[in-house]
Amino acid sequence: MSALAEPETHPAPYHDLLSWITTTDHKRIGILYLVTSLLYFAVAGSLSLVIRTQLARPDNHIVSANTYAQLFTLHGTAMIFLFVAPFAFGLANFLIPLQIGAPDMAFPRLNATSYWMFLFGGLIVFAGAGANGGAAAAGWSSYAPLSEIKVGTGIGQDLWIVGVFMVSIATILTSINFVTTVFIYRAPGMTMWRIPIFTWEMVATSLLVFMAFPSLAAALILLFVDRHFGGHAFDPAYGGNAVLWDHLFWFFGHPEVYVMILPYFGVISEIIPVFSRKPIFGYLGLVLAAFAIAGLSMGVWAHHMFTTGAVNNPFFSFVSFLIAVPTGVKFFNWIATMWRGQIRFATPMLFSIGFLLNFLLGGVTGVMVASPPLDYQAHDSYFVIAHFHYTLGGGSLFAIFAAMFFWWPKMFGVKLNERLGAWCFWLLFIGFNVTFFPMHLMGIDGMPRRVFTYASTGPLPDLNLIATAGSYTMLAGVILFAWNVLVSGLHHAPVGDDPWEANSLEWATSSPPPEHNFTKLPPIRSERPVWDLRHASAARNTAP
Amino acid sequence: MQHAYPPIETIKQGYADLVHVQSWPLIATKQASVLASDWVIFTMAGLAVFLLLVVLIVFPLVRWRARAGQAEPPQFKNNPPLEITWTVIPIVLVMGLFVYSFQAEARVDATAIHPAVTVHVNAYRWGWTFRYEGGPSIGGATTGPILGTPFAKPPELVLPLGETTHIELTSSDVDHSFWVPDFLFKRDAIPGQMSSFDLQPDKLGSFVGRCAQFCGLDHALMTFTVRVVSPDDYTRWLKGAKNS
Repeated sequence: MSALAEPETHPAPYHDLLSWITTTDHKRIGILYLVTSLLYFAVAGSLSLVIRTQLARPDNHIVSANTYAQLFTLHGTAMIFLFVAPFAFGLANFLIPLQIGAPDMAFPRLNATSYWMFLFGGLIVFAGAGANGGAAAAGWSSYAPLSEIKVGTGIGQDLWIVGVFMVSIATILTSINFVTTVFIYRAPGMTMWRIPIFTWEMVATSLLVFMAFPSLAAALILLFVDRHFGGHAFDPAYGGNAVLWDHLFWFFGHPEVYVMILPYFGVISEIIPVFSRKPIFGYLGLVLAAFAIAGLSMGVWAHHMFTTGAVNNPFFSFVSFLIAVPTGVKFFNWIATMWRGQIRFATPMLFSIGFLLNFLLGGVTGVMVASPPLDYQAHDSYFVIAHFHYTLGGGSLFAIFAAMFFWWPKMFGVKLNERLGAWCFWLLFIGFNVTFFPMHLMGIDGMPRRVFTYASTGPLPDLNLIATAGSYTMLAGVILFAWNVLVSGLHHAPVGDDPWEANSLEWATSSPPPEHNFTKLPPIRSERPVWDLRHASAARNTAP
Repeated sequence: MQHAYPPIETIKQGYADLVHVQSWPLIATKQASVLASDWVIFTMAGLAVFLLLVVLIVFPLVRWRARAGQAEPPQFKNNPPLEITWTVIPIVLVMGLFVYSFQAEARVDATAIHPAVTVHVNAYRWGWTFRYEGGPSIGGATTGPILGTPFAKPPELVLPLGETTHIELTSSDVDHSFWVPDFLFKRDAIPGQMSSFDLQPDKLGSFVGRCAQFCGLDHALMTFTVRVVSPDDYTRWLKGAKNS
C-alpha cells in the first residue's frame, strides 16, 4: 500500500459501453488497443492452427492452395500489423502518462483517432475474406509484381492495401502522440534520465516509426496506382522495377521488426528488476543500446534481399552483424540485474525468463542469417520462419503475456490467478519450442516458405507432425489464459496500489487509476520513485 | 512464355511422387562445400554463445532464488568497466564472423571467365526453361491447367560433373527463386533483371530444385530436377537433346 491518500475521483464504470466509444482517456484507449489486438491475435492464431493442420501430413487436403495462400497472408498481416505492434501501443497508451506523471496523452482526440483507424483498418483487411475471389493472397510482404496481378488476387488485395495503409497512418499518429507526451508532459522532477526504460523504448520505437512507416505508405500508394490507374512503378515490362518494391517494403519492414521488439525489451526491463528486488542494471547502457539498435536498424533492410543479386551484400551483412552488439548489451544488463538479487518466480517473471531463453535463440539464428552465404540456403525457407518466430513469438509474445500478468492489477484492480498463470507459461513455453525448433531443420532440409505441401519422404513429414503437435499445445496455453481471465474476473479481490512492490510511478496511484491519474504525486528523486516512497515510509514507520 | 500442356492423362493425382525425396542436404557442388563450412562455423559460434548465455541466465535463478526473511539484496546499478567489456568483446566476435562470411561469399559468388557450359534459365508461373547456349532449349510446365495438379515429371536441368556451368537467371512474370537445397544455394529470378552465378557439381545424381519465392497458388509445386552426369554422358545427351 502506498503512503498516498486514496484518490477522490473515480472514472465511469467499465460496463458503460457509450463511455468506451466516446473516450479520449489514454487508459481506456490503451485498454481498447489491448483488447482489440488480442482479438486479432485470436483470429491470427486460429489461422495458424489451420495452417499447421494442413501441414501435419504432406498430402493433406484440409484447405485448397487458394485458401492456404489467404491463410498465411492474413496470419502474417494480422500478427504484425494488428497484434504485436498495436499491443505495444496499447501498453504505451496506458503506461506512458502514468510512468511520467502526466494526466493524459498530449493529443487525446488524435489518440482516439489512431485507435479507431487501427480497428477499422484491420477489419477492412479481413473483409477481403468475404469478397469475391477471397482475401489478399500474396503474403504479408505482398511482393510486386505478384501483388499487381488482378486475376487471382482480386478485390481482397485492394482491401489489404487500404486496410494496411490506414493502420500505418494510425501508427504514425500514435507515435507523434507518444514522443510529444514524453518530451512535454513529464511531472516535475521526472527528468529524461529518470523516465522508466519502457518509456524510453517507446521513444526509440516512435522515432523508428517516423522513419519507416512513410516508406510503407508510399509503397502501398504506388501499388494501388499500378493496379488501378495504369502506373508501372513495379512493372519491368514498362520500365518499372520489381526490386523497387523489395527496397521500399523492407526499408519499412526491417525497422518494423524493431518496432515490434523494442517495446518488449522495455517490458522485460520493467519486470526483471521488480522480481529481483534490485534496480535495473546499466540504465544508461540500456537506453543507448535502444537508440543504437534503432539507428542501425535503418541500415539493414537489404539483408532480406541477399539472394536477389541486386544489392551490396557485404555492407548490409556488416550492419546486420553489428546490430547484435547492442542487443547483447541488453542481455548482459538483464542478467546483471538478476545477479545477486532475490528472484521471485511470479508469472510475469516466468514469462520474462521464457522471453530471455527464446529470444536468445532467435538472436543467435539472426546472426547466422546475417551471413549471406548461409542465407543462400536459409532465405525463404523454414529456417527463416523458425528464426523470426523465435523473436516475435518466443520474444514479443512471451513479453506480451508477461506484461498482461504484470499490469493486469493496475488496469483492473485484480490479480490474475498465479497457479493458472504458471500452467499457462509451461504450456506455451514447451508448445512454442516444440512447434518452432523443428522448423530450423525443415529449412535446412529444403522446405520453402508458403507451401501447402512438401516432400512426402525424408525427415519433413515427421518434423512437420511434431510442429503441429506443438501448436496445439500452445492453443491449450492460450485457452488456459482466457479461462484465467474469467476466473480472476469473477473472484474479485482488490489488490491495492502496488501488489508487486514495484519501482515506477504507475504503482503510486490507485488500481485502476482515477480519471486524471494522480491526485497527488510522490517526490521524484530517482528512476525508482515508488521504491523511494516505500523506503521513506518504512523509515518513518521504524523511526523511534 | 507459353508452353503447351501435355495431355491430361499424364497429370498425376496427388503430389507424393512429384515432390521427390528430400533428406539432409548432400553438398553436391564445389561452391556448396564453401557454403557448408560457413554453416559449420556459424553454427558452432552460435551454439557456444547460446550455451554461455543460457548458463548466465539460469545460474542466478538457481543461486539467488528468494527465500523468506531475507534482507534487501545489494542495490548496485552499474559497472562501467564491465559494461565496456561486454560491448567490445561482441564487436570483435562479430567482426571476425563478418570477415569469414565475406571471404566465403566472395568464393561462392566468383564466376569463371570461360565456363564450360552456359545455361539461360527462365522461371515463369509455373515452370522452368533451360536454354543451353549453342544447344537446345528444354523446359516445361510443372503444374497442370487445373490449379494444384502437378505433372508427372518436372523439367530437367542436365549438368556435367566437375565442369563449371554458368547460369543466367531471369523471370518472365513475377519474382521466383532458383533453389537447389543439395547445393545449399538459391538465387532469385526477378523479371527485368538478369542474375548470374556459377555451379560446379562434384557429385553424380539427381537433385531436387524448387521455387523458393512465393509466386502464386502453385508455388509449392514449381519444382525441377538437376541431373549431374559425367562429361561424356553430357556430350552424348546434348547431341540427342531436342527442344521441348
